Amino acid sequence: MLQKKICMLGSFAVGKTSLVRRFVESIYSDVYQTTVGVKIDKKNVQINEKQVSLVLWDIYGEDDYQKMRWTYLRGASGYLLVADGTRKATLEKAVSMEQRVRDEVGAIPFVLVINKSDLIRDWELDPALESHLAAQGWCIVRSSAKTGEGVEESFSLLTRKMLG
Amino acid sequence: MGSAPRHSRDTLEFRPKMAETPPTRPAPEPDEASLEPDAQAYLELRQLILAPEQEALERLHQRVDDPASRTADVGSVVAEAIQLRRKQGGDEALSVALAPTIETALRESVRKDPTTLADALFPVMGPAIRRSILETLRSFLESFNQVLDQSLSAKGLKWRLEALRTGRSFTEVALLHSLVFRVEQVFLIHKKTGLPIGHAVASAVAMQDPSLVSGMLSAIQDFVRDSFHTSQGQGINRMNVGDLDVWIEEGPYAILACVIRGIAPRELRDRMAEVLENVHREYSGQLDQFDGETTPFTKVAEELSRCLEHRYRQEEKTKSFGFVYATAAIVFLLVAGWLGWRAVQYGRWDRLVNTLREQPGFVITSFGREHGKFAVRGLRDPLAADPAQTIHGSNVDPADGEFHWGGYYSLDDGIVEQRAKSILSPPATAILKLKSGVLVVTGAASASWVKDIQSKALLVPGIHSVELSPELNPGRLAFNQAKAQIESSVVKFPVATAALSPAERLALRNLVPSIQSLLQAADSLHQSVTLEVLGHTDSTGAEVANLDLSQRRADRIAWELGQLGVPERALRARGVGTMNPLRTEENEDNRQFNRSGTFRVSAPAP
Repeated sequence: MLQKKICMLGSFAVGKTSLVRRFVESIYSDVYQTTVGVKIDKKNVQINEKQVSLVLWDIYGEDDYQKMRWTYLRGASGYLLVADGTRKATLEKAVSMEQRVRDEVGAIPFVLVINKSDLIRDWELDPALESHLAAQGWCIVRSSAKTGEGVEESFSLLTRKMLG
Repeated sequence: MGSAPRHSRDTLEFRPKMAETPPTRPAPEPDEASLEPDAQAYLELRQLILAPEQEALERLHQRVDDPASRTADVGSVVAEAIQLRRKQGGDEALSVALAPTIETALRESVRKDPTTLADALFPVMGPAIRRSILETLRSFLESFNQVLDQSLSAKGLKWRLEALRTGRSFTEVALLHSLVFRVEQVFLIHKKTGLPIGHAVASAVAMQDPSLVSGMLSAIQDFVRDSFHTSQGQGINRMNVGDLDVWIEEGPYAILACVIRGIAPRELRDRMAEVLENVHREYSGQLDQFDGETTPFTKVAEELSRCLEHRYRQEEKTKSFGFVYATAAIVFLLVAGWLGWRAVQYGRWDRLVNTLREQPGFVITSFGREHGKFAVRGLRDPLAADPAQTIHGSNVDPADGEFHWGGYYSLDDGIVEQRAKSILSPPATAILKLKSGVLVVTGAASASWVKDIQSKALLVPGIHSVELSPELNPGRLAFNQAKAQIESSVVKFPVATAALSPAERLALRNLVPSIQSLLQAADSLHQSVTLEVLGHTDSTGAEVANLDLSQRRADRIAWELGQLGVPERALRARGVGTMNPLRTEENEDNRQFNRSGTFRVSAPAP
């Protein structure tokens, strides 16, 4: 059995937890997140006929009251970098987070997930930044935790990257 | 140049005093032509002194460097080396070292041809499977027995109520209560990733997903360490949640966490450390390079399960059951003793009642317990034996019982006989016996008494007829009485005459009633009777004359009686002269007696 620890990173309220909830059947209450700063879930996925057990560390997004605990990234095989399409600042934050991850644990596989695609009309993203990131080799998936669009895709894409 | 320094160092050891030669220089074959004469001499000297050692060294180098000869060397001693190692007590390390190779070899063997291994294992598979099944059954029976024992106690009843209240199964409640501690789950967690490497769980424990628990445990460790800025190895080593304890033991690569219900002993901590060390030793390489693949760790659960200890309250169970058994035994003994004592008491009273029942003059109508005492009810004839005597003779305590007697007349022969004796007051010569209601009278008694009882006895309860012995027949009695009276009478005559004086005639007249009653009695007895009148004379005078005189005297008396109404057919007069003198004639008085008439009653048997 192959297991991989992956983290959910992103600003406060970008929809990390919603994405995870969309993806797994959770046993833990979200309360953990605000107390310990992380919530852990599990999902088995099959990539190229190989079973992979993903252990998702849904790390509390940084806000005015709580700092993100980077310790939780230790040992992660990859991460989903989540941004909110309707808030431009969250993408900028994601970019800086990616830099921080590289500093903390090195370059590990990640996928940028721009969430809330169901509200695409309200999006205020800079297409130039997006294409710039894509040009740098970033994997970018648009998703909606509400409709489920891009959710499975984000996780399987990250898994594929992790398995190399 | 790679092997040069070593070479030089080796060489140096043999010439420690030649310090002027640069130590790092190698010692190749020198070009003799280019050397100074001194140096050449030195070389020669050196050659002479050191050549044999150098050659030996060369041979050694060759042997060490050549894989083939090394293999041959090792091959010749490998078995002995392993044996030696085992003797040194390094079994475990040896096994640990060899295990991966053997495992790979086995796997390879199975891959190539599974039948080889299957055939080899065939003889051990059956017993192993049987043993496993037996073990499972045994542990099932043990826990079943334990639960069964507990379900019979008062505590068990309490737990049953608790099970009803909480909706848990009784088995679960019982096991939880009798538990001192039980390690329910063991997690081996990769320290860096927080991913579970291995997991062992006790039977019948609801388990959580190891990935989630491992993740959360390491997140909490990280959180605490991060929050309180402690260094590695100083994380939480114990967490307590309700009646669950989580003990954490940290190693260089992995964390061992035991989820414990109850209070575990300190020794468990040692066991955990030991297991964690074993895991680190056996899997050092794999742990270091762990990338989430748990396949190399499939066997680790076996090691982890060594931590799955548990302990139940055995001694308390036996104690409480000992108490229950003791109480039950005491109650049983008390009840049995009381019942036995009662049975003995009842038996004694029963025997007493039966004894009374068999005595004449008693009728037992009821026997039982009344108000905690034995009660005997019945009837008693006043003439029956005193019951107090019988009770005194038995071994019952009279205070334990009461007697209620009513009066009655017993028809028992013995009692009726006593009754007859007390009512009929028989003369000492008479004997009274009772046979089935018939009063049998024997012996001697007066005719008047006999006559009296014939009517009186029938009034005595229990007597319905009277049977007199023949001699007590009233007719016979009257006959005998009259006979005696008549035969004792003497009629006297003056000398030489058969004439009666007026006094004698009067005496005869008085004798008539007796004669008549004699005749009557004979009549009632259907017996013929003859009254013989005998005439006597004294011895004076001639015998012939006397005989005649005596005949006339007898006739005179018979004639006289005939005159007084005595039937002639009953009379016979006979003169006996001097043949039957009444008295010897010693004097005149006696002679007078012989001048007389006497009577003899003869009654031939009917």
